[in-house]
Amino acid sequence: MAISSESAAGAMQEKPLAGIGSWVFAGPLILIFCLALPVPFVTNDYWVLIATRAAIYWVLVGALNLVIGFAGQLAIGYVALLTLGAYTTSVLVAGNVSPPVPVFAALAIAGVAGAIFGVIVGLPALRLRTFYFAISTLGFATIITQIALAWQSVTGGGIGLPGPEMPAPFHTHAGFYFFCLAAAGLITWMTANIAHSRFGRGLIAVRDADVAAEATGIRKARLLMMIFVFTGASAAIAGGLFAALQTYITPDAFTFDLSVLFFISILIGGRGSILGPMLGTVILTLLPEFAAPLAAWSTFLYAVLLLVIVLVAPGGIAALLDFGNRRALQTNRTIVPKAALVGHLLTMDKAKSGIALRGVVLSFLGVRAIDGVDLDVEAGKIHGLIGPNGSGKTTILNVISGFYGPEAGSIALGGEALKPGDSESRASQGIARTFQTPRIVGEASVLQNVMIGGTIRGQSTFVESLLCLPRHRGDERTLRSEAMTALSAVGLESLADIRADRLQHSELRFMEIARAFMARPAFILLDEPAAGLSADETLRLGQFVKAISRQGTGVLLVEHHADLIFDICDYVTVLNLGRVLAQGTPAEIRVHKEVISAYLGG
Amino acid sequence: MLASIIASGLAVGAVYALIGVTYNTMFSASRVMSFTAGQLGMLGGVFGSLFVLRLGLPLVVGLVLMLVCCAIVGLVTEFVAVRPVLKSLDQHLYVLSTLALGLMIQQVVAVEWSTEPQAFPRVFGIGGGGILDEKFWLPMLTCAVTICALELLYRRTLTGMAFLAIAEDNFAARALGLPERNLRMASYALAGMIGGLAGFSGGQLLLAFVANGPLLNFYGFVPVALGGLGNNRGAIVGGFALGLFQQAANFLVGGIFSSVAVFMLFIVVLLAAPRGLFGVHLARRV
Amino acid sequence: MKNTRREFAIGTAASAAASAFSFPCPAIAQTEPIRIGWLAALTGASSAPAIGFDRGVRYAAETINAAGGAKGRKIEVITRDTQGDPTKAVNATQEMISQLKVHAVWGPTNSGESLAITPIMARAKMPNIHPCVIDSLIDPEKFPNAFRTSPSNTQWNDAVRTYCIKILKVKKVAIIADTTGYGVAAAKYSTEALKKDGADVVYVANIDATQPDMTPDMLRAKNVGAEAIVVWSTSTGMDARMFNTRATMGWDVPFVGHPSMSSGDIKGLLDKPTNWEKVYAVGYRSCSYDANGKLPPRNEEFVAQLKGKVELSDTLLWWVAGGVDAINLIAKAVENGSTSPDDIIKYWNSVKKFPGYFGDYTWSPTEHNGYPGDDVVMSDASSAKNGAFKLAPGYS
Repeated sequence: MAISSESAAGAMQEKPLAGIGSWVFAGPLILIFCLALPVPFVTNDYWVLIATRAAIYWVLVGALNLVIGFAGQLAIGYVALLTLGAYTTSVLVAGNVSPPVPVFAALAIAGVAGAIFGVIVGLPALRLRTFYFAISTLGFATIITQIALAWQSVTGGGIGLPGPEMPAPFHTHAGFYFFCLAAAGLITWMTANIAHSRFGRGLIAVRDADVAAEATGIRKARLLMMIFVFTGASAAIAGGLFAALQTYITPDAFTFDLSVLFFISILIGGRGSILGPMLGTVILTLLPEFAAPLAAWSTFLYAVLLLVIVLVAPGGIAALLDFGNRRALQTNRTIVPKAALVGHLLTMDKAKSGIALRGVVLSFLGVRAIDGVDLDVEAGKIHGLIGPNGSGKTTILNVISGFYGPEAGSIALGGEALKPGDSESRASQGIARTFQTPRIVGEASVLQNVMIGGTIRGQSTFVESLLCLPRHRGDERTLRSEAMTALSAVGLESLADIRADRLQHSELRFMEIARAFMARPAFILLDEPAAGLSADETLRLGQFVKAISRQGTGVLLVEHHADLIFDICDYVTVLNLGRVLAQGTPAEIRVHKEVISAYLGG
Repeated sequence: MLASIIASGLAVGAVYALIGVTYNTMFSASRVMSFTAGQLGMLGGVFGSLFVLRLGLPLVVGLVLMLVCCAIVGLVTEFVAVRPVLKSLDQHLYVLSTLALGLMIQQVVAVEWSTEPQAFPRVFGIGGGGILDEKFWLPMLTCAVTICALELLYRRTLTGMAFLAIAEDNFAARALGLPERNLRMASYALAGMIGGLAGFSGGQLLLAFVANGPLLNFYGFVPVALGGLGNNRGAIVGGFALGLFQQAANFLVGGIFSSVAVFMLFIVVLLAAPRGLFGVHLARRV
Repeated sequence: MKNTRREFAIGTAASAAASAFSFPCPAIAQTEPIRIGWLAALTGASSAPAIGFDRGVRYAAETINAAGGAKGRKIEVITRDTQGDPTKAVNATQEMISQLKVHAVWGPTNSGESLAITPIMARAKMPNIHPCVIDSLIDPEKFPNAFRTSPSNTQWNDAVRTYCIKILKVKKVAIIADTTGYGVAAAKYSTEALKKDGADVVYVANIDATQPDMTPDMLRAKNVGAEAIVVWSTSTGMDARMFNTRATMGWDVPFVGHPSMSSGDIKGLLDKPTNWEKVYAVGYRSCSYDANGKLPPRNEEFVAQLKGKVELSDTLLWWVAGGVDAINLIAKAVENGSTSPDDIIKYWNSVKKFPGYFGDYTWSPTEHNGYPGDDVVMSDASSAKNGAFKLAPGYS
């Protein structure tokens, strides 16, 4: 699928995009680390201690940011992993269960333990609803502390045990500080890499538009598990560093207040941001040191801060600093898709034959939504699906997309059966779709939303993205340029960097189409794409859909705009009460008696 | 021995069950789970001790005042932590706002009242402290009375049926002209009172103790998780089962491990049946 | 306090002269206040001891300053509320060492905090007195700067054990402790010590302090024939529930153990006042009433001095006394030398039977536990008056 470079360059205006390489993103982060470097030389050991603490907390919070801020999993009991890491490191170094282990090896082993436990703590997130999961993490935090208390022979029980001593040159205040600062820097870099990768975008898709995420092929369970492994390992290592800083650990050092601090830092900072939570962590670590008389009220003040943020500025510091999205948008925008560009996005070499439904039956709570439907969508043709409300049109799309498995009947693509209910595989099998109500990530930019569509075509692994290796960079470049092409094709390229929730409803529909292109689908399912469009825009949409089918991609179009259907469709199916009322060419359907009486009127 | 376990298990289970009902009442009115449910239980005990012991008011007056105060806390919850975030339910901001509010309540009590458990007054003065002492059957009695009263409310009165309506189908109820916001506020006030009653009736067992807040948040949620969200009958069964299991674990396994045992059970049951053992099928997502 | 007016006058004149000539003079450094850091868990759980100590600390500082200070120098107490959180304690300790540059530290009051900050203070060679009981906190070789004014866990154990075996003359003992770090450690040490002394430990339990019903555990202890129950819990709620359960069971067993059992707030948690009988909590001779209802003479005078200035009825006398003694020990060290860490530590290493209100302290370069073991006694827990207690029956 070659993109001819001249037309590509002409088609899109290259804008300075805020990717990880841009100064807009990296600048403030680098500035903070530059400010942090001279701390031991201009202040005393006390401030070095506080700064070290902030760095250690950030090692945990930075990784937890991926879980809470990006994936939206409310893990409020994460002090459990800090505890695990602190005890594992200390026990290994002290030699309570094995010969004494050198500190760095102990930290590494703690990281492994954290990775495993991170998965255990995170597993319920796949099955439980948000509030239930939040409570379960609280339970884990309590359990870990109880175990630390009870297992006296190993952990020292209530007496605790000494933390690990760092070897030279990290055993001085300044030396240890620079070590922790380096760790903090590493975490910042790695999480920023993930944020600007298909994994990071996949996480926010799972968080805010999980249905769309499934449809674009993002495997939620696998993705979340990778994040839990990373965050668990990071948090445990932070725990080991915490134990070294405290020089002695007891179970009562791992309070619920710490969990609250970690959690609030991320929310004050803003979801989906790296800089925000970092600032949040620094602020919340420093704050108590300036308000000594208010010590008793510190948790209360944290809670007030959280409440204020949630109610007033749910986007946190990041939203406040997002100057790019303050600029007013041009009003009265019209969408002008460029059908000519469709050829850059979809290829001609589709060998697949069509989608075939046979005798599909599906009920909801006893009501038959689809009652024995046969349907064929051919490659390179536009197939219209119309009918009154409640006739089962969207449900048919949902069955093809794999969100529901039929009670009876079969679905096949290119002769091979499609696994019922397996929504996450459809994208890789060549089926993409849009939704009746746009399912998008409001807080992300339009470009990022479209890039989500290309997730399955990325080549780099999680580790390669973590370390910003060449394949990751190549992926990002390719996805970015392809997404710009897709946006240009649908006529939204001028809005690429704008937050998606600032777009008009109709623009979002086109954005979803751009997203669908990214997977290079063999079939596109469009769910009422013309809703809310002006007459002009509807005409242009029609031309656009025709261009899609000319590229060999099959289109299944659910619509209420009868004119659009009869204008562009090669074949039309009419549904009524879950059954096929009539099938045929537009000309045949237009004069079909039952269709007229049931639906068209007149 | 066994008698003790049963008595204390059912008693503390009744308290947990009532907190579960508090969670359910709040959820039914707003589709939101609130971290203030357990704090309301804690406040029931603290207010009871404050009004009757510290301020020396008669018991009935103290009880009424406690109910009023807890109802107010319920209203505050609705107004401050729930109403503003109802528009963005998918972001689950209610977890954070109710967590924040719950923490604020807890900290104020910790600083202004005490961090140590304080005494709770005798209610009727019946029972010599043995198994038949009022501190065991009072929570059970309160639970039974509350459940019957709620049933009467929901099935026989118009207001109660209105509550059910907005819980079943919010949009339809509004379309019918039911004053959704007022009903929600009333539901939260009611939930506040139920939570307060739970803490008041359990006060002789759990004492007026600020740490009861997070304790009841967790142990009061387990019946909801087991019984299914919004299902009061399931919460009652779950609460008693939890109480018996917990006390049995305390007896057989001892302090530290009993909470581990309860938690393990909670996680295992939830992973096996995420909607609860009697849970209801949720609305379609697509 | 020693007469320091003459020195004070000379010092003032010297500093006035020096400031008139405005060039640095050693005399000015000598009028700099004595900065004492006070690490207090004033809020949070188990804050009662720190509140008591705090009253003594403030009283002592005011009294010394009113008399002109120590060697002409005012005492400045800088308090940090650590809330029982080792993290806050570490931060506050480093602040006191590097930012506030205090001369000595009193506290912390919480054992968990103390375990975390002891190595930090040792590294900075900061002179430190504290009242925490855990044995490993005191080690003249590892921590030459740390001194303890209160008894150690071992000394508490000795008193309890001696009372059970020698005075109550019981053979079978049950141990009930809470599930905090302190309770778990204390139960373990206590079991070992009692067994070594030939007692029969028939039942050991760590119970969650919030468990509402203590009947099963006490029934089990009764069933195995326990003749005394040793209690190591910091929770007054748990204590009260055990006393009430004992009464309901109609069991006559004595409770012997942790000072929390004598805390004033237990009164309101009891079903009947008589439930508090036959409860013997760790106490101190210096703060105990003899058969004639009198404290030792020095403390009688002390209580008289405190009257109207410091409230005693809702706290314990030994806490207030401990706070006063700590300030005095630091002030005396400065008077006998200077505020340099070496001088302070050298002085402390030399005290023999320092006349404090809580105890007569003796330290040496090889022994930093200052409290005389014989002075740890058992008190009748319900007999509090002005924060002091009657001795438990059986003491001479």
